[in-house]
Amino acid sequence: MKQVPQKDAPLKLNETANWIREDVSYEVNEPDAYALEEALRQKEKHGGEVAVITSGPARAQQVLREALAKGADRAIHLEDSAFVGLDALSTARVFAAAIKGEQFDLIFTGLQSDDFGFAQTGVILAELLGWPHATIIMQIEKTETGIRVKRELEAGYFQYVDMPLPAVLTIQSGINKLRYATLIGIKQAKNKPLRKVALAEVQPAISGNLQKIERLYVPQKTKNTEFLEGSAGEVAKKLVDKLRNEARVI
Amino acid sequence: MLVFRKPLEGIERPQMPADVIIVGGGAAGMACALRLSQLIDAYNANNPDSQLSKENIYVLEKAREIGQHCLSGALLDPRSIRELIPDFEKEAPIEATVSKEAVYFLTVKSKLKFPVTPPPLRDHGNYVISLNRFVKWLGEKVEAAGITVFTGFAGSELLYGGAANGNRVMGVRTDDKGVDKHNEKKSNFEPGYDLKAKVIILAEGSRGSLTKQLILRFKLDADRNPQTYGQGVKELWEVPAGRIAPGEVIYTMGWPLTSREYGGAWIYGGKDNIVSLGFVTALEYADPRIDPQHVLQEFKKHPFVSALLKGGKMVRYGAKSMPYGGWWSLPSLGGDGWMIVGDSAGFLNSARLKGIHLAIKSGMLAAETAFEALKSGDSSAATLGQFQRNVESSWIKDELWKVRNFHQAFTHGLWPGLLHAGLQQFTGGRGIRNRYPSAPGYTHMKKLAELPADGGAEAPLLGPAKGDARLTFDKLTDLYHSGTKHEEDQPAHLVIQNTDVCNSRCIKEFGSPCQNFCPANVYEMVDDTTEPNGKRISLNPSNCVHCKACDIADPYQIITWVPPEGGGGPNYDGM
Amino acid sequence: MPDTILVVAEQREGKLNRVSWETVTAGQALASQTGWTLEAAVVGSGISGIASEVASRKAAKVYAVESPKLEPYTPDAFAFALKQFIESKQPKLVLMPHTYQVRDFVPKLATAMGRTVISDCVGYKKEGDKLVFTRQMFQGKLAADVSFGCEPPWFVTFQNGAFRGDKVETGAAAARVETVNVEIGDGVIRNRPQEVFKEAKQAVDLTQAEIIVSVGRGIKEQKNIELARQLAEALGGEIAASRPICDSGWLPMDRQIGSSGQTVAPKLYLALGISGAIQHIVGMKGARTIIAVNKDSEAPIFEIADYAVVGNLFDIVPPLIEEVRKAKATG
Repeated sequence: MKQVPQKDAPLKLNETANWIREDVSYEVNEPDAYALEEALRQKEKHGGEVAVITSGPARAQQVLREALAKGADRAIHLEDSAFVGLDALSTARVFAAAIKGEQFDLIFTGLQSDDFGFAQTGVILAELLGWPHATIIMQIEKTETGIRVKRELEAGYFQYVDMPLPAVLTIQSGINKLRYATLIGIKQAKNKPLRKVALAEVQPAISGNLQKIERLYVPQKTKNTEFLEGSAGEVAKKLVDKLRNEARVI
Repeated sequence: MLVFRKPLEGIERPQMPADVIIVGGGAAGMACALRLSQLIDAYNANNPDSQLSKENIYVLEKAREIGQHCLSGALLDPRSIRELIPDFEKEAPIEATVSKEAVYFLTVKSKLKFPVTPPPLRDHGNYVISLNRFVKWLGEKVEAAGITVFTGFAGSELLYGGAANGNRVMGVRTDDKGVDKHNEKKSNFEPGYDLKAKVIILAEGSRGSLTKQLILRFKLDADRNPQTYGQGVKELWEVPAGRIAPGEVIYTMGWPLTSREYGGAWIYGGKDNIVSLGFVTALEYADPRIDPQHVLQEFKKHPFVSALLKGGKMVRYGAKSMPYGGWWSLPSLGGDGWMIVGDSAGFLNSARLKGIHLAIKSGMLAAETAFEALKSGDSSAATLGQFQRNVESSWIKDELWKVRNFHQAFTHGLWPGLLHAGLQQFTGGRGIRNRYPSAPGYTHMKKLAELPADGGAEAPLLGPAKGDARLTFDKLTDLYHSGTKHEEDQPAHLVIQNTDVCNSRCIKEFGSPCQNFCPANVYEMVDDTTEPNGKRISLNPSNCVHCKACDIADPYQIITWVPPEGGGGPNYDGM
Repeated sequence: MPDTILVVAEQREGKLNRVSWETVTAGQALASQTGWTLEAAVVGSGISGIASEVASRKAAKVYAVESPKLEPYTPDAFAFALKQFIESKQPKLVLMPHTYQVRDFVPKLATAMGRTVISDCVGYKKEGDKLVFTRQMFQGKLAADVSFGCEPPWFVTFQNGAFRGDKVETGAAAARVETVNVEIGDGVIRNRPQEVFKEAKQAVDLTQAEIIVSVGRGIKEQKNIELARQLAEALGGEIAASRPICDSGWLPMDRQIGSSGQTVAPKLYLALGISGAIQHIVGMKGARTIIAVNKDSEAPIFEIADYAVVGNLFDIVPPLIEEVRKAKATG
């Protein structure tokens, strides 16, 4: 799961203009909330245990606490502000290092993050672990040989895929209503195991980002508004001309 | 069809027992929790054999995050926070130390400085703070102290019990989550919890909804002056460097208000070129068309304000009501199972325009009383009533007694008010009689028929502001900068007793002032040919910034604000 | 070996995905700026026809990367086949459209090759000898220029609509098509996909619509929305609305555009009777072309419109529908 700046937070660039100033409010990445919801539903159906993992500074712990309050059983926090600057490949690498020795059957991620929007971490993790994967999943069913998932394709098309376990799935947003954490859940979360992993422990797994944000900026749009005048009929003709030759939709 | 929020009936509610519940995680609530924790820690250190637990002490905060609904100017008198945390300056987030102060009387084009800053407004030794950041910090300490703060949970009802006529407050019911627009359960429905507790402390802020219920039920305002309120509308601006020094404090009175309205502005210089500015308009004006957000926009047009803001950027917007009634408007403060602290009770010094230090002190005193209740096992009025007596023998009384008639003095306008206020300065607050009366603000609202059609001198303040999108803004644009978000699919939490009054009477008599006193565009009269006057009341509840102006100012008093689903509301980062 | 740019076009069940033309356009632009050679590849089984189709456009060469195991699509097979192919051809830059399918395998491919993908780009810049790729971040609030910090091959995917598929250049003659057969061993493919099928989606996904006709308060009454619907139909687009319309129940919530609804960036956004409150604007200001019709000349929507009509939408829209129908009929 990832902690990202709140959707409406006013963002400011830092001094070197290659990242944002972190004095904003944060929240859980919404697609990851759907991944968690699906995991909790699978646990309710088939039993088992749900673990949640995140990387980031101390503030990211909030995401784990909320997940534990909703019903996750344990959490892993790769705690260090240095984790924020890692690209998708390095992030997947440290996750893989942190979960070495674990015996997960399924790993869920949201389909992308609301801040970077790369949509890569889950797929990269699958490759690093050597596991099969599928993306943009709407539904998961247990089968004799593993699982059957429903993949969303563009333009209203879908596809079922049979896969063995263990596997990595990126979950489509909006497939379920997100549950609320209850007061009891919040109280119980305090006593659930939260393992902290320091940067030093997973450092060997990373070797520098393979891509670099040169600069971050507010996209400038220079709009020259052209007012179309004339009678209704004339304006209609002018509009169609624009639609055909400028917007290229006719 | 408007469907209003109501706790669902006939459903089983999960229970969770508690020792103390503090409803509201603002300055008063957090100070109360922290003080209680300190007392318990000290006690436990000296009583290894009989320990008191903090396990079942809870703060309920309706916002998604601590401090998110906290808004104020703000200037902090450090007296009480220093009592609570002696070296708080080392760790508390402080924007600036007050360095310079000035009070101006404004006319449309000029400003006249008061040669001497009136004593109540002298701020030497005070701090400019962001209440949001300050409460966040306090909240961290409360959590670190082992007291659970439940964010995203509102207190929606008080639970009564005990003797035959339910004289005791037994607990708090939290909000039902996952209820749709038609009050039906959604698939992720979670019923509110019934939290039974020994002591319930209401720290809901100005015009608290549970506080209102409690006062009504037990007539806690008998023999008191009715509470009166001001509406504060605030904008946070980032301005070019050098425009205003950190710690520079400016108060204004006069323009754009006339001598008939009570109110004024504040401008505080913070750090990093951030300016906090806002206008407070007392919710007792006569013309129902007056729009407090519009008043702020008008104020910014004054040459000295627009010069300050030129080239700057508005960063955040918000609004909140505040209680002006003072000492004579405080309700009964403690009874069987309950106490009321902070702005919910009305601990605000309207002459100094400061209430945070009093909220903190009241929270601390309530904590001391709650501690006694925990030790003795008795939380009846016999024990909790002690809170009232503690307040009366504390410096809260000393301070508020001196200004007990301040706001009431302005009932007949600015000039008589200033005269009385001056007199009160020399008579220890007495003025011409020990207790000046007050009337609820809405009773001052005149019908349109009694007012000049063009609005007279108040004309520039009437109706929604249009804004020039650079210095001044229309309400929707301002609202966008409040970060307000709610779960959309839920019943309306502005409970209107009888919408026929809106559609048939109010529209003619007062011109639907809800569209004006609400700073968030929640209320709208939309076209509807089936209605007698062609219009019908429509609500945008998810715009609500939880200021309570509607509950206060509605001339028919048919609007009751109840908390929406927890987690929703404005996001007053930095406010 | 000359430096090459490889465009991997996408095919689904024997049909070329038209968005691939946009990637070819991007490739052509990059090729002319860098002087590198442009090549293309199509991956699948029995896809020589598609390869020829791609070859009709200006490119040095087109490869048909073949294996019976590449149909149906699986990430295992595609990543395996392309890894082999790319290792042998060693292009400097590999471009793909950011489709659901590409998202499904290209991060795996890049990772298997020890490389990285800069995905969902909206453009590129050449700064001296360096190429940087522009992508949106924080849901379009900020843009980032990203560069590679590793050796080629460099993987880039482009956002739908970032380049003009209709502007793709035709070459003097068709490019040469070369078939490359790939051996995919047993055990490589672990997923077993079933038939693709269509389902009526419960909620409309306006983010996928290329043309949106949106109505605001100016539409006055629910029955007038029919007018907007006709216009949307004539244009082949979707209907949407600002918040008050959905709040009144005149259109379902999933048609709402704005801070409490959906954020869209279609090719065309036609705003009818929408004033342009900031809450609405943040949901559509990324649209390529914005046309606004409003009676009020001071409506804020005009600040972000490309083409503005100050007038009564009930006068303008009917003749507009006629003209659109006429234009589409004549083609």
